[in-house]
Amino acid sequence: MSACLRATQLELLEAILAAPGVVSSAGLEVYRRNVGASLASALAAAYPVVRRLVGESFFEEAAARYARANPSASGDLHDYGESLAAFLEVYEPARGLACLPDVARLEWACHQSHHAADAGPFDAAALRDVAADALGEVRFTLHPATHLMRSFHPIAAIWEANQPHRDGTPERLEGPDHVVVRRADGRVRVERVDPAEWTLLAAFAAGASFEAASAALAPGDAERVLAASLARLVRDAVICGFTLPAGNA
Amino acid sequence: MGLSLGSADPLDERHLARLECLARRFEPALVSEHLSWSSVGARHANDLLPLPYTEEALDHVVERIERVQERLGRRILVENVSSYLEFAHSTLPEWEFVSEAARRSGCGLVLDVNNVWVNSVNHGFDARRYIAAIDPQAVGEIHLAGFERAGDLLIDTHGARVSAEVWALYRAALERIGARPTLIEWDTELPALDVLLDEARIARSHLASLERASAEMA
Repeated sequence: MSACLRATQLELLEAILAAPGVVSSAGLEVYRRNVGASLASALAAAYPVVRRLVGESFFEEAAARYARANPSASGDLHDYGESLAAFLEVYEPARGLACLPDVARLEWACHQSHHAADAGPFDAAALRDVAADALGEVRFTLHPATHLMRSFHPIAAIWEANQPHRDGTPERLEGPDHVVVRRADGRVRVERVDPAEWTLLAAFAAGASFEAASAALAPGDAERVLAASLARLVRDAVICGFTLPAGNA
Repeated sequence: MGLSLGSADPLDERHLARLECLARRFEPALVSEHLSWSSVGARHANDLLPLPYTEEALDHVVERIERVQERLGRRILVENVSSYLEFAHSTLPEWEFVSEAARRSGCGLVLDVNNVWVNSVNHGFDARRYIAAIDPQAVGEIHLAGFERAGDLLIDTHGARVSAEVWALYRAALERIGARPTLIEWDTELPALDVLLDEARIARSHLASLERASAEMA
């Protein structure tokens, strides 16, 4: 089926995605420019902080090189650019900025959070109905817009300092950050959290039961985090629901 | 957008499922996609690339439109695209390809008058002949936009005022097809609001004078 059509399309797409300098025509150049411009603007939209950190011309060059090596694999341009962090890790001109790949990962998490599906409200009544001896088996579900990030660099401070209304000076210059990215009222928020709380959420994200997730914390931490955080995490819709293994429902 | 309707790859079932979900949730009056392709071999140009106008491509795209219509449980509209190159092995004029795709699949058309004009200059055909070949019953919506000139080519940029030639062609299209919902596409280099309002006013005045003319005839 469509053997000739397929060959025609493969040939044209190959010509459009070819490196600059390869034999071309005025018409082909229009498509090359369109494709280059779409990918460049998708990257610029997803990575505003990286762009601000490295400057516009540095970003443009890096984005063009990334785009040549990584053609789009989706009809939805919002899916484009996920592996920019991995690219920056080995991009020689960016060597001097060790935090850059993790800042890019944080921005990708923000981008995904922004475009994530909605979820219904947490069913508190259903949780109250769970028998006391089955509570340990509850598996909390993170909201689709919730993402967890941790880094040896102060990525939350760097991200915050490079928002449009800020002058770019981070409040902290070093130290690790444990970050929760969440969406509230349609706006993405980046919040630095207590490492124990982050560990608890990471366990939930991995599908651990409440009991197993609590056991992952240090003994004193478990009670402190559970008492201080759980209600807030539900209220802020970081957690949006829960499941029980069959037989406990 | 993004379904890559004319691609030789299998239809993207994930994309189609999302489209179906969207259509179910919002129940739009019309659902449309471009009569073009944008990906092959799982690589995407995220741009609207022209099909070769051959019987083979026509059979293929008709089957795809039918599949999408079956899946969505509704008639869709397909839109003619601007193009900057032609295939040497095309055997049909673009207008025949577009009309036949609609006739055989039973789908409707979004007639982009600016794209007709742009292609008529880029590929050297008579834009009015294109309009004359389109079945008025098939057209559910009309699109207009501005273009830019780059050397010998006109480029559909959605970033300028609708040109005098395109307004004249729009008028000719309305006279043949009848009044249709008209969308002016302007999504790059946005101008001041009053420029946009003025463009909308011109479109409305064409639609109103057409209605007056047909009232007088009746």
